[in-house]
Formats: sequence, structure tokens, C-alpha cells
Amino acid sequence: MILDRRSITVLILLVTASLAGSAQDQDTVKKVSRGAEMSLYAEDNQNNCLVCHGKLVWSLTDTTTGAVRKQLMSEHNIVVPDMFYSSVHWSFNCLDCHSEGFKTFPHPLETRFETSWSCIDCHGNDPNYAQYRFEEIDADYQKSVHYTATEGLISCWKCHDPHYYNPLARQTTGGRDYILRSNEMCLRCHGNSEVMGLINDENVSIVLPKHEWLPNVERHMEAVRCIDCHTRMNDSVLIAHEVMPADSAVQGCAECHSQNSILMGTLYKYAAMESRDEKGFINGVMLRNDSYVIGANRSKFISFTGLLLLGMTIAVALVHTLFRIMIKPKKVVHE
Amino acid sequence: MSKNFYHYPVWLRLWHFSNAVLCLFLIVTGFSMLYSDPDRALVVNFQRAVSVHNVCGVLLTISYTAFLAGNIFTANGRHYLVSLKGLAERLWKQMRFYAWGYFRGEEAPFPVTGERKFNPLQQISYVGVMYFALPMLFVTGWALLFPEFILKKFLGFSGIFLTDQFHVVLGFLVVVFLFIHIYVSTMGKSPLSNFRSIITGWQESH
Repeated sequence: MILDRRSITVLILLVTASLAGSAQDQDTVKKVSRGAEMSLYAEDNQNNCLVCHGKLVWSLTDTTTGAVRKQLMSEHNIVVPDMFYSSVHWSFNCLDCHSEGFKTFPHPLETRFETSWSCIDCHGNDPNYAQYRFEEIDADYQKSVHYTATEGLISCWKCHDPHYYNPLARQTTGGRDYILRSNEMCLRCHGNSEVMGLINDENVSIVLPKHEWLPNVERHMEAVRCIDCHTRMNDSVLIAHEVMPADSAVQGCAECHSQNSILMGTLYKYAAMESRDEKGFINGVMLRNDSYVIGANRSKFISFTGLLLLGMTIAVALVHTLFRIMIKPKKVVHE
Repeated sequence: MSKNFYHYPVWLRLWHFSNAVLCLFLIVTGFSMLYSDPDRALVVNFQRAVSVHNVCGVLLTISYTAFLAGNIFTANGRHYLVSLKGLAERLWKQMRFYAWGYFRGEEAPFPVTGERKFNPLQQISYVGVMYFALPMLFVTGWALLFPEFILKKFLGFSGIFLTDQFHVVLGFLVVVFLFIHIYVSTMGKSPLSNFRSIITGWQESH
């Protein structure tokens, strides 16, 4: 069977939907009831926008002749309802975010130039979302090459589709599946030279050949997130968003493969602050501090030298004791 | 005949007791954290060691402020004022006594009097531990609880790594001090007399 590109895209969306489902099983954050049956706007969405945008095939009726024509929806304009209703934005009406112009069909030209909301527009300076530190994420993004080199064309949406967004890093316990899905986000553009044409007319080569200098390329790709090397670490946010130009990426082995790494320090700082924000100082930091990791900051030299120093002190005390036993002090002097 | 001096008032004995107990907990849990293996706990389980270490560290800070206040507001503080004049010579005399004179039955070069509680070696080591090592342990320990105040990088090293290592090095110095402190305490009039002193408050000259 030969699958065309559109079918592959839909297949990818469906696979991703099932992966999202499985990720929710191992959800480590507070469970929230979601779903079309819980949404106040599901019927409205279903009877309007999703009639066409909710599936691959949509139909157009000529109101004069009554002729019906079926067409394929562009892959970029499809919203898979199940995935939408299990995302963080599940409870919204389409028109909460999209302009009123979309009520008219065919959609007027100006809807094509609709400005998308960015995350900070809704979540910035809101105490309810303070723990996610959207302001710092936005500041990092504004410094990132995604923003500076594209005049903002690469917006939040390009990586985080708001229709399907779920906080991946907070919902999984890490591991290869999380790394794979994190890297998929980058590869959607950087693994596709045609998509890269959005920002560059030249044929941009795909991402993998540029990493051949790495020893064990495949293992690095499986075990390391792209952003681990390509973003500037920020102690205060869970995921760093300051994507650096390619030539500034981490290329030194010791930056990751050492106990004295910035990455290690950043993870510790973040975990400690997050735990304190969530559970308070006593419960989150003093009593239950998961930011300490066995051996994370261990220096073999200091561990060894410390024991040696202690051993030598004990040895001197033992010799002294031996002398005290063998050579009884001739007299004990009192004042 | 030996004389007795009331050198350890009640507040000092209470502080010393809490200090000793907390330090022992901190040392045991500190070693557990430093030498634990993911598959094998050393003395206590890693996560419990972290919690107990943090709680004891906070309590020790509180107990230390009581000690500091006692030294500021009572006469006890004078024992921690080191006179630098002739210090090297006094230290040498005391070391020579422990290594040689003690066995030959010589008189202690700096016997306990009403005005002098510590010999020069004790004085310099207590000052080092109480006014340098412990405060630095508190600073580094609290910094690890509030890591946002730690420099990201210092001299090319991760700030957290350096803070952690400094904390561990100071911890080792305190362990070595504690061992010597206990050992030297057995060199009083009798091996147990100094231990009796810190319970009753009365110290015998030797």
C-alpha cells in the first residue's frame, strides 16, 4: 500500500494521539477531568468549525444548484477532536482564540492574516500560572534564534500546537519516550527541508548529517534532547527556551559528561525551587527534597582525601593511646 | 590538690548537648549521603538521610545562634578571644606537652584556672570550628536549600558544585575536630573527668 503525504500526516497525528493517551496514564501531575463530554462548547465546536476542520474530508455545497463537492482538508488546518479535548485548552470554544471572521464561510481573506495569540498573551502575569514562569520563558524566547532570526515568525505555536498542547515534561517521568517526543518537536521543522523553506528560500539540509561529529550519534539522539545542547540553560524554568544559533551549541563532551556540569547545577536549582514553590520550604525542601541525587555532586578526590584525613587522625590517636598505656605518666600533675 | 571551677553554666551545657546530638546526626546522615550507592544505603536510606540532614542543619543553625548570643552577652565569650602575641610559641608548648611532657609527668603548661578554660590548642581549634567552619557550613548548607542565590559559574566551575564540595570539605574538618575533641577530653585528670565536667558544670584543673 502506498501512502501519500497527507495520509502519513494523519497517521502521525493518530499515533501521537495514542501516545498522548498513554502519557496521561503515567501522568505525575494532578489529574484533570477533560473530554468533549465535559466541555460547554463541544456541541458548538462540533456543529461549526469541526464540521470541516475536524476531519480529513469536508464538503462544499453550491446553494444555488445544490451540487455537493467533497474536498480534502489541508493537513495544517485539521484539528483532531479527541486530541483537542485531551489537551490543556480542551474547554475552549474555537472562537475564544480565533477571530469572528471565521464565522463567515467561505472565510474572508483577512482571516488568513489573523495574528495568533502567544502563550504570554493569556498566561503572562497571572498568579494561577506563576509556577510555569511564562514571563521568563517568553524573555528566553525573545532572545532565542527562533525569534531574532525570523522576526517572530517562529512563534510559540510552531513548536507547541495550542490545539494539542500538554505539558509533556511535567506529565511524564522522563525516559526515552519523553526524549523522543521532545525531539520530534524539533524535527518537525529541522528534519524537513521543505518546512524549513518557511524561513529560508535556500534548501536547508536536514538535521541529522550535521551531528556526525558526535561519537555514537544514534545513542546521543535517543538519550539527549536537542534542547540540552541547543539552548542556553536557565535555572528558573523547567525547559530552557533560549535556542542558540547552531554554532553556539554545546560541543564539549565535559559539559555534560562531568559532575561539575552546568546542566547538573541547573537541574538541581530548578528541582529545589520547584519543590519549594509547590510544597513550601518545610515539606518541599527540608523534608522531601528530590533535587538531591545520589552521587550527583560527588567528588571522588574529596571523598577519598576526607577518609584518609580521618583515618590518619584515628591512627595518631591510637598510637597516642598505645603510648598512654605503655608509658604510664610518671605523675599526674594537679595544681 | 585539684581545684574546681564552674566553667559550664546550664545554658552552655544545654547548648553543648544539643550541638553534640545534632552534629552526630549530621555526620551520620552526611556520610550516608556522600557514600550511598543507589542500590545500597549506607547506615540510613538516602532520601531519609537528606531529610534528617536538612532538619538537623536548620536546628543546628538555631542552636548556634543561642551559642553566639551566649558568647556575646555572657563572660563566656572571653575564652574565645585569641591573643596573637606569642601564639605560635604557646601552641608549640601545648603540642609538645601532649606528645612528650604528658608522658613524663610534666605540669600542664596552661592549666585550667578561673580565668582560663581552654589551653591554646583548644582555643584556636574551638575558634576555628565555631567562628569559621560552622558558619561556613551554615552558609553553604542554606545556600543548597536556596540554590537560586548561588552563582551559576565561578572560576569556570559550576557554583553549586563548588558550594557542595566546600560544604563536604568543611564537614570533614568538623568530623576530624570532633574526633580529636573527644579523644583529648579523655586526657583529663581521669579519662572520664572531662565528660563529668560537661554534665555537672564543674571542671577540675589538671
